[in-house]
Amino acid sequence: MSLELIRDILVATVPLLLIFPTLFAFTTWLERKALARIQNRIGPNKVGVPLTRYGGRFSLFGLGQPMADGIKMLFKENIVPRDADRLFHLLAPILALIPAMLVLCFLPIDFPWINNIQDSVKAFMLDGAVIFFFAITGLNTLAVFMAGWASRNKYSLLGGMRAIAQMVSYEIPLVLSAVIVVMMVGSLNAAEIANAQAGWNWFIFTPWGLAAFIIFFIAALAETNRSPFDLPEAESEIIAGYFTEYSGFKFALFFLGEYIAMFAISGLAVTLFLGGGAGPGVAALPWLSVIWFLVKIFALIAVMIWLRGTLPRLRVDQLMGFAWKFLLPLSILNIFIAGSALHLLAGGRLAGLDEKQPILRQLMEGANPLVVAGLWIGALLILYVAANGLNQLSRAKVRPREYKYAE
Amino acid sequence: MSSATAIAPNYELIQQDGLETSLLEVSMGPHHPSTHGVFRMDVKLDGETVVDLQPVFGYLHRNHEKLAENMSYLGSMPFTDRLDYFNSMTNNWAYALAAEKLVEIEVPERADYLRVIMAELTRLVNHVSLVGFFINDLGALGTPLLYAFREREKILDLFEQASGARMMCNYFRFGGLRNDVPEGWLDRARDVVDHFPVFLDEYEQLLCENEIILSRTQGVGCLSRDLAISAGITGPMLRASGVNYDIRKVDKYSIYDRFQFRVPYTDGNVGDCYDRFMVRMLEMRESIRILKQALDGIGDGPVLGNAPKVFKPKPAEVYGRVEAPKGELGFYLIADGTPKPYRYRVRPPSLINLTVLRDMCLGQKVADAVIILGSIDIVLGEVDR
Amino acid sequence: MSLLGGGIFKGMAVTLRNFVGSYFYKDRLTTNDYSWRPSDKLPQHAGEYPKEEGEQLRDTTTVTNYSRNFPMLLHDGSEPMDTIRCVACQICERECPPQCIYIEKSTEKKENAGGKPQFYPAKFDIDVSVCMSCQICVEVCPFDAIVMNSQFELSTPDRFGGLLLRRDDLLKSNDYYHNIHPEEAAARDKRIAEEKAAKEAKKKAAAEAARKKAEEKAKADAEASEGTPDIQEDAE
Repeated sequence: MSLELIRDILVATVPLLLIFPTLFAFTTWLERKALARIQNRIGPNKVGVPLTRYGGRFSLFGLGQPMADGIKMLFKENIVPRDADRLFHLLAPILALIPAMLVLCFLPIDFPWINNIQDSVKAFMLDGAVIFFFAITGLNTLAVFMAGWASRNKYSLLGGMRAIAQMVSYEIPLVLSAVIVVMMVGSLNAAEIANAQAGWNWFIFTPWGLAAFIIFFIAALAETNRSPFDLPEAESEIIAGYFTEYSGFKFALFFLGEYIAMFAISGLAVTLFLGGGAGPGVAALPWLSVIWFLVKIFALIAVMIWLRGTLPRLRVDQLMGFAWKFLLPLSILNIFIAGSALHLLAGGRLAGLDEKQPILRQLMEGANPLVVAGLWIGALLILYVAANGLNQLSRAKVRPREYKYAE
Repeated sequence: MSSATAIAPNYELIQQDGLETSLLEVSMGPHHPSTHGVFRMDVKLDGETVVDLQPVFGYLHRNHEKLAENMSYLGSMPFTDRLDYFNSMTNNWAYALAAEKLVEIEVPERADYLRVIMAELTRLVNHVSLVGFFINDLGALGTPLLYAFREREKILDLFEQASGARMMCNYFRFGGLRNDVPEGWLDRARDVVDHFPVFLDEYEQLLCENEIILSRTQGVGCLSRDLAISAGITGPMLRASGVNYDIRKVDKYSIYDRFQFRVPYTDGNVGDCYDRFMVRMLEMRESIRILKQALDGIGDGPVLGNAPKVFKPKPAEVYGRVEAPKGELGFYLIADGTPKPYRYRVRPPSLINLTVLRDMCLGQKVADAVIILGSIDIVLGEVDR
Repeated sequence: MSLLGGGIFKGMAVTLRNFVGSYFYKDRLTTNDYSWRPSDKLPQHAGEYPKEEGEQLRDTTTVTNYSRNFPMLLHDGSEPMDTIRCVACQICERECPPQCIYIEKSTEKKENAGGKPQFYPAKFDIDVSVCMSCQICVEVCPFDAIVMNSQFELSTPDRFGGLLLRRDDLLKSNDYYHNIHPEEAAARDKRIAEEKAAKEAKKKAAAEAARKKAEEKAKADAEASEGTPDIQEDAE
């Protein structure tokens, strides 16, 4: 291995390891602050500039809070239950963090410093980047169950079992909705997918892309154990689920892993559906693409926080039912719709569309607005009707009721 | 209980050749985030399904009844605050009602109006926070609960202005109230009551149509009409099971016969968590109706009748009850001619409503057991006494 | 048929409204900032929130006058022990539901505010770790000697001694009482004054009656012994 290669690898990876944990700290602050405001509270606002006597005076909206939390976590006692499997109890948080960190490499973020390094160390240029992404994310399941099993706590075990069932189930709609994009681009290369959406040709602006994005986002919520799918760590039912028995820095690692996974899956959603780094001004100032990428990630995370502040949690059977009876059929139907539409378009059988031009651009700027509108309405109508039907099938009896009054 | 009857009906543990299966016994509580205090459920699980459940309580036993037998009648009044610490006003009222029966004191009209106002404000406090806690048990991150507490705070301010304390009000006395409300209190109360429906609209918009809440609560923890009656369930829980029974209507104690209000109830074919939740939401609207009428109808006058200075009733037995927000709260007193009661017994709605917990939970998921407990609306101070 | 997921969107609209509203409307963000002030700036009584610059507070003034925390003993003058109202009758000790009052009666009498020789409490301890702020002692006290304080910053590192308030900790002047509970104190003083006036009137009447009786008797005696000046008019 040449020295240059090592340097390139370091240049490609070390900044990721610095940037995302920093963003994680900021996100914990953001989440607490936003949730507090949703709940009409103030949120963290005490911790100021650390290590100064003016800490309280210049509190900077409590931005010092994540650092204080980190220090607290570091100094807390590491408690391992007596009967726990010590080795796996130790390994689980590490294993939870590593895949989450690994998949960050597959996000096609054009950091300025990676322009000079060779393509072979850019993971997102890999021909199977998207597949790799899902494969590595799947490892997370293992860590969660390892934690649940090794803790020797019934709540942890329940949490671990729930996590396995949930993550395995939701992986399928997640991948199937990503397939739409792969069909449109014809490549699994993350960089190519992002490039295909340059300008405003984001895949979310196609009917099937929009539907796929919604399915992808819901499944991503479940993959990252976010509300309303936070069953593995359901506080009101099983205390803290698989990390009930974790304290101190091990818990911090789980926490970090969870948030990094959130970044990763949001980053993938941005890559697949929201145009990657595309956005206004990118053509003139290439470094803006990094900003746009991160802004889009944070937009998705903000929605996750918003959902967390609003929704209660599903029950375990409803959760599985939702994945298998609702999301899975819908995403298959969506693939079918996308396939037929692309086939018709590519064959030029729909009047007014030129098969030699990029399909997306035509859908956006559409040669024939009627055809474009017809595509949008038709595809979304089919999906909505199907979704409604599936909904009726699965929970027909659930509806608001009328009540009687006695004078 | 380890006999066959302990297991849910129609439940069979699957035993396959070469595979050993056993139930997972989980002790939920007393240190559990959703047991509403120090309460424990010994749950036997098959996967996630509850096949047996044994409620264990008594962690908060404070010897309330025996203490009261060694104390003057008035001395027990502040202790009744601590029974159901969310609703001290109605607890006070039930006890005052029983004691007033003992010595037959007339309550002045203004005191009666204020009592109704306080009790209905208490009902708002209780129901609004119960709904918040209930949704919290469903897994929401405290958002509805904090909205509820935001509104509850306004009512607690009213309580503090009237009685000096926010929760442990100790405001009622035999024959009336301890003191009159301060100047301007009725206007502030009117203000709070007028703004409450605005909040309720928002609350209903947040909760009542949410698909997740609907699918989580409907068909969960069904309590049949017959079981509810035979188990002695009272309050909103009974009405959710389809029985039109409200002590405000049945006894017409105090001046409840002067007010126009309706009692929401179901037709009794489901009686699930959703019904219990909705009945409480609807009851709040009726409480506001009562409050508006009471605040309009209240007149001037004394607030304390001519209660004897030394409370020394003749030997008698009485039972005084009110429709507390949780159900029928009754005090049973036996006087023997001394200044202390010979027997003092509380009929706590929380405890008696809790008795059907197991019947409602069997066969449900473990997550449902939590929300069923939440929908019963217990306060452990009252369960254990 | 409602929109699929419509209820969820409605709920999200509510939370969004609260999120935005908490930045603009005081009735949505009701939190008072309190705990991070320097300790000398902490309020000691309900309603005594010291405002810092630019700080908006919920209107707590309406609450303040009525909140109660732990009992205190009243005295009328500047020298507490000379004007203490308590006469160590021990009714409150007997009536206290959680039994947190401990009184030792003095052996000798001493002049109090009324100028009458009275017993006074040699010891008057209230264990505020037991006290439940029920105000029964205030109600049973026939001398208006014990009332409720509203001081709440009572935390102490000393678990037993620090929470056992001695007589001298409990003694507070009537002015202080007027300061923390203006309305209640005014009402109480008015009642005391009325009672005093009534008592004095009664006394006067009694004295008058006694004098009249004496005079009548004297008159009768005089009539019996003949020829006396009429003093009855002066008495009228």
